[in-house]
Amino acid sequence: MSVPQSLLTTLVSATEEVFDTMLALPLQARAPVNGPLEVPANVVATVAFAGHRRGLVVVYSSLAAARQITSSMLGIPVHEVNGEVPDAMGEIANMVAGTFRNRLAAVEPSSDISVPTVTIGTDFSTLYSSAVFRSRCPFDMQGEPLSVELILTGDQVGGLK
Amino acid sequence: MRFLVVDDSSTMRRIIINTLNKLGYTECREAGNGREGLDALTANPVDIVITDWNMPEMSGVEFARAVRANDATKAVPILMVTTNAAEGDIVEALKAGVSNYVVKPFTPATIKEKIEAVLKA
Repeated sequence: MSVPQSLLTTLVSATEEVFDTMLALPLQARAPVNGPLEVPANVVATVAFAGHRRGLVVVYSSLAAARQITSSMLGIPVHEVNGEVPDAMGEIANMVAGTFRNRLAAVEPSSDISVPTVTIGTDFSTLYSSAVFRSRCPFDMQGEPLSVELILTGDQVGGLK
Repeated sequence: MRFLVVDDSSTMRRIIINTLNKLGYTECREAGNGREGLDALTANPVDIVITDWNMPEMSGVEFARAVRANDATKAVPILMVTTNAAEGDIVEALKAGVSNYVVKPFTPATIKEKIEAVLKA
């Protein structure tokens, strides 16, 4: 099942704000989708939230995109990125989820966010319970695909706006 | 101007220090949580502390309370940089002794403005 468009619009604008402000890396947003990733992700950064809403914000990227993001965040050349990717991608997920949470808190009771977790590898899938609502917002970042997914627990049926 | 940047994220410490360097502030030290921040502050006084909120061992709010409770450090301005932007969060931080508040993501102009504000206060 998919997530309401208003929440996805908020997630897209939160993601764009983080990338514009902290990285000076403009993103080209594409239409939200519910299907699997077009390109397997090597880096998955996740932040959970709980309170008025419960779920996850998940950032998917290739390793090349993650290195580009890390390079821009730290102000160092891509070839000098060495071991900083997990912390940088965790911080990206933290800021996207935090900005998303803050925008929702302006119009509804607030939720708290968790510390980020980051998975990096070449042959893995991230699977979730079938009892969730999920939609993914794909972006193009200077030719590299990047996605941000919103996953909401199924017990919010009827409470989604 | 001497700064102490307290954040458990090495990435965020580097971003803040890079921002401070761009603003002309080059004397920056760092700590990975509130406990390390207290030790650093006690050993070497600074003019401004910039701290995160959510950190292991000692959070930014606990750190601010501890700084204000110590006669040797209670006057140092504390700028909190965090994703926590709820009104209740800001009130809690200010009550704990935080001087001013920056919500991530931030621009260098915002950091500059907040530094100037805490120095004038």
